[in-house]
Amino acid sequence: MTEILLMTHVLFGVACMIAAVWLFVDVLQVSQANLARIQTISWFAAGFMWLAFLAGGYWYVIYYKVDKAIILKGPWPFAHNAIMETKEHLVIMLLLLTTYLPIAGSDNLVESKDARKLMLWVAAIVALLALAMDGEGGIIAMGVKVGLLPR
Amino acid sequence: MENSTISKCTIAFGLALAIACVVNSLIVVAKEKSEAVMAGMKKITGHHWTTHSAIVVLLFLGVGALLTLVKGGRGIEMSASRLIGIVVSAVAGATLIIVGFYLFID
Repeated sequence: MTEILLMTHVLFGVACMIAAVWLFVDVLQVSQANLARIQTISWFAAGFMWLAFLAGGYWYVIYYKVDKAIILKGPWPFAHNAIMETKEHLVIMLLLLTTYLPIAGSDNLVESKDARKLMLWVAAIVALLALAMDGEGGIIAMGVKVGLLPR
Repeated sequence: MENSTISKCTIAFGLALAIACVVNSLIVVAKEKSEAVMAGMKKITGHHWTTHSAIVVLLFLGVGALLTLVKGGRGIEMSASRLIGIVVSAVAGATLIIVGFYLFID
């Protein structure tokens, strides 16, 4: 059950990253035809991130201590000491950035070059930060695996 | 015809985002360096990270809402370039603080 919760966290995180990339590309080609879609996808990106955050946060607070003990006793203690510690705090910034997407996306992106520029920057930062979080999550999971392997 | 305006909400919450990101990184340093701060944060919600997240999210929403009300409700005027510079600097600086702290100091 806890593994399903963790996979849900990953699924929604990846969905957020895909939405951010989609937004970036759509804003580059913004017109009246895709403006409503851009605003919808920005809400989806924020929604996916909140779901990922809540699922991951619940798992972290309730279940992570078991994995943490395995990581710290294994050959990759940095997977917790550096990677998880940075991930759990960088992800709060990612949550704020994605929450900001629908706010920035509510401006008239067709008529305002500045609004488009801002949206592109925020979407790009979200996509890159989400990718980094995904990578950190992989390292943490690997830290648990190598901690369980016989030496 | 193109215009170069962004709304007062976009500016207000953009600035709030920048402030919250920097505060997020400073809370990391404060709680890791001070057992009293860490214990206090654990006491509020039962886990320091839950308290930390709640503080930063509420700060973002609260500061953003307040900034929309300044200047008699007209909000802050700022160019998009300046706002982008502030947001990018805040995110980059906060990331450096957090990563640097855990890699080199803690």
